[in-house]
Amino acid sequence: MIELQRICKWVNVGGARVFLLKDINLLINKGEFVSIMGPSGSGKSTLLNVIGMLDEFDEGSYQFDNLEIKNIKEKQRAFLYKQNIGFVFQAYHLIDELTVYENIETPLIYQNVKMVERKAMVADILDRFQIVGKKDLFPAQLSGGQQQLVGIARAIITKPKVLLADEPTGNLNSKQGEEIMDLFKKLNQEDGVTIIQVTHSEKNAEYGSRIINLLDARIDYK
Amino acid sequence: MIRNYFITALRNIRLNFGYSALNIFGLALGITTCIIIFLITKYELSYDSFYKKSDRIYRVGLSGVTGYNGHVSVAVAPALRNDFPELEQVSQVWQEFGLVKIGANHFDEELYVYVDKNFTTIFDYNWIAGNAQTALVEPNSVVLTKSIAQKYFGDKDPMGQFINLDKKYNLKVTGVIRDLQSNTHLAFNFLVSFETIKPELKDAMNEFYNIGGGSAYVVIPENCSVKKIESRLPAFVSKNWGKDIAKEAFLVLQPLKDIHFDQRYIDNTVSQTTSKEIYWALEFVALFIVLMVCINFINLSTAQAAKRAKEIGIRKVLGSNRKQLIIQFMGETTLIVLFALSIALVFSYLMIPNVATWLDIGIDISQLKGPVILVWVTTINVIIILLAGLYPSFVLSSFNPITSLKSKGVVSFKGIKLRTSLVFVQFVISQILVIATLIVAYQMDFLQNQDLGFNKEQIISFDVPDISKRKLLENLLYEDPNIEQISFSSGAPSYNSHFTPFHSIELGKPNDEVSEIRSVDEQYIKLFGLKLLAGTEITKRNEKDTMRYLVVNEELVHELGIQNPQQAIGKEVTIYWNMKAIITGVVADFQSESKYKKRRPCILLNYFPNRFFKASIRVHPNQINKTIEHTKKIWSKLFTDNTFKYEFIDEHIISLYKQEEKEYTAFKFFSAIAIIIGCLGLYGLVAFSATQRTKEIGIRKTIGASAFDIAKLLSSNFLILTIIASFTAFPLAWYFMDIWLQHFAYHITISWQIFLIAALSSIFISLITISHHAIKAALINPIKSLKTE
Repeated sequence: MIELQRICKWVNVGGARVFLLKDINLLINKGEFVSIMGPSGSGKSTLLNVIGMLDEFDEGSYQFDNLEIKNIKEKQRAFLYKQNIGFVFQAYHLIDELTVYENIETPLIYQNVKMVERKAMVADILDRFQIVGKKDLFPAQLSGGQQQLVGIARAIITKPKVLLADEPTGNLNSKQGEEIMDLFKKLNQEDGVTIIQVTHSEKNAEYGSRIINLLDARIDYK
Repeated sequence: MIRNYFITALRNIRLNFGYSALNIFGLALGITTCIIIFLITKYELSYDSFYKKSDRIYRVGLSGVTGYNGHVSVAVAPALRNDFPELEQVSQVWQEFGLVKIGANHFDEELYVYVDKNFTTIFDYNWIAGNAQTALVEPNSVVLTKSIAQKYFGDKDPMGQFINLDKKYNLKVTGVIRDLQSNTHLAFNFLVSFETIKPELKDAMNEFYNIGGGSAYVVIPENCSVKKIESRLPAFVSKNWGKDIAKEAFLVLQPLKDIHFDQRYIDNTVSQTTSKEIYWALEFVALFIVLMVCINFINLSTAQAAKRAKEIGIRKVLGSNRKQLIIQFMGETTLIVLFALSIALVFSYLMIPNVATWLDIGIDISQLKGPVILVWVTTINVIIILLAGLYPSFVLSSFNPITSLKSKGVVSFKGIKLRTSLVFVQFVISQILVIATLIVAYQMDFLQNQDLGFNKEQIISFDVPDISKRKLLENLLYEDPNIEQISFSSGAPSYNSHFTPFHSIELGKPNDEVSEIRSVDEQYIKLFGLKLLAGTEITKRNEKDTMRYLVVNEELVHELGIQNPQQAIGKEVTIYWNMKAIITGVVADFQSESKYKKRRPCILLNYFPNRFFKASIRVHPNQINKTIEHTKKIWSKLFTDNTFKYEFIDEHIISLYKQEEKEYTAFKFFSAIAIIIGCLGLYGLVAFSATQRTKEIGIRKTIGASAFDIAKLLSSNFLILTIIASFTAFPLAWYFMDIWLQHFAYHITISWQIFLIAALSSIFISLITISHHAIKAALINPIKSLKTE
């Protein structure tokens, strides 16, 4: 489903080329749960952003569902992204001015889903995540774990094929972290969502089916 | 400490160069506008107020059946002097046009007056040479203004030189005065002693209605009631000129300082009168603009508050108390305002000469040095500093040090509501100005293009200095085949005219009403395309005829109680109190007077060929220049001592709206500035809201928002604001502009289209202003805006 070949990404610092990603070859199949690990600055987040089409790469090939990302137009890529990818962040990134309900609803608005349908979908997911009682609260009124729950709910409401998570438990305590990871596992096994997560925690990485280690912008095969 | 504040302030300005530049530029523009408006209003409102006795000088005016007149017969002044010994001074004046000859040089002079010796003691001019007491005592003396002296004699000493006036008088220069300030109703290039013309005016010296160019000025002594003197004037008229005249003509004392603003005299004076309200409105505009720049300042500085939060936190942790912080921020405001002030002075310096030309007004840069303007500028600046500085200072200094330090520079500052409402006020103000400008524009267009009831195209009009050569002139002119028609008259429609009372005993209207009266020849109606409704056109005058025949307009017929023009034919009316005449024709109404007057009765009379001062000719459109050349040649040959001057009727009509044209320019100019300032504010606010919402925009993009969605998100609030502001501005603008329109006898009705255009244009302008930031924000890479480390 996701196939990276010799992906390179760099920045030029004072004439020298500093690699953020170098010769990344990676194949991720549908339904996998992959954890990306590595020390700070090794390129984990960059790799995730490239996979999520939020960041460009300088060299190599990236095929998503057999479509070469480099060759398609910006508009097509945005469409591909909207249809297939959900993002979960370490800092949750909920919109402070919107309620829980509205936060979850927003991606559907951008996909031109009709109002009645939206209502049903949001109600459904609120129910599933057991946060119906919180739907009219603002992010600031929730705990970190609850906020991340909303973040995930928002990411999967559009039924993406791939869920990308950048240290989803980084700001949570261990109990909250466990709950979130259990949720991921459930999503992966029951709904068949492909999940790629960046994590620092060995324990969280174990939830996945495969671990990729990054070191100094390269995949470390050991 | 002050040094520390100063350095911080300077670095802050440099660091946030964009914001600071916006801020300073907006302020500078605002201050410039205030300076210019101040100069304009000071100029207009101080008309004739710079003489030592300005408060006590009065012009004697005449109020009678023909409306108000600023001129009175030269008989009035001597009689006043005789009957009112308590008057401090009485002076008389006679205005003329004439031809000046110095050696071989000819100059056509329109601006000079004959004045008696008291004149220069009433009005204290700056004498360069000669003496106010004695210069105009002797006949054949003349006092020149400096620039006219230079024009006539160059660098030669003009004192004792001679100028020849109208080939009649050899005048000796007995004084030179500095050029007059231009804001006076009585402008002249030189003064000639009244004694010179006195023998010529012998008849006029007795008759009450022989007005001509005469006028009289008096100085009321201090502690003397004007009312009291005015109340004795009817008896005075009655005693000197008889009961009959006293019944219908009243003398009034018009304060000198009111002359420029007294609209009742609008048709009878050469100088332009204007309404005071216009200048009060301008002062309001200045006030609005100050308010707008202060709003911008508050918006931009509170918007920046987030960025300053950390500094404030640290300062507080280091032991600064709130008062010190307020002082610091006020100091920063002062610094910025002073920057803006210096730029504003440069702007003013550059703009004042242009504004002076656009508005045809006597303001110049040297007036910036006056003490009054210094006080005004200082006041404006202090107001701006207080208005703009206090609120942000209090807000910034109130931050809690712990939260502001923790927040990594992003304090969610709850000031957006205030800022939005301030911007709303700005929108309303600029919207009102836009609507006002549009209405003025429509009215101007209406005035210039309305159906005047006569033909004004391709007609030129010029003087006939010697009426006895009229026939000869006509014959010679007709030699040019391009001249289609010639008419002689006392004046084309829209030119000054004469008035007469009229009544008709036959029709049961024995009381006098006023009518305009024009002496015209048989060609007049055809040349100007007046529409004949009944009867016959003006016929050739039979010298032996003792009966006068009139063509009158519809309005006069209605005034006589006749609805169908046909029925008026053959009816007898009395004009000039006792002159009987028969109506032979009725024409449709035409606009022969100023735009302020409703069309009123008008009589066309072919009886006084000695009043045919003006010739009007219709020219073939393709040969206009050639025809004018030809006419000039013939004319100059006939009237060797005069210079040929002509005017197109349509251009003359446009020149009648000079005052409105000025107001229009002023409106355009100041609303443009208000719009620019409003846009600056909007621009700053959008910039702020885009930074404030960077995170939100990033999130929205990662969950699928397109660039267009983001741009829409950022713009929609402001657009809604613009629309609400438009609706708020409509009734206000309608109210004020309706008052303005009431000055005109014929005016447009304010239609919803005007509001629609105003609203659409302001939405368009807002969109352009917003678009830069909205697009920038929409295109930003979400990864950058969501970085947490």
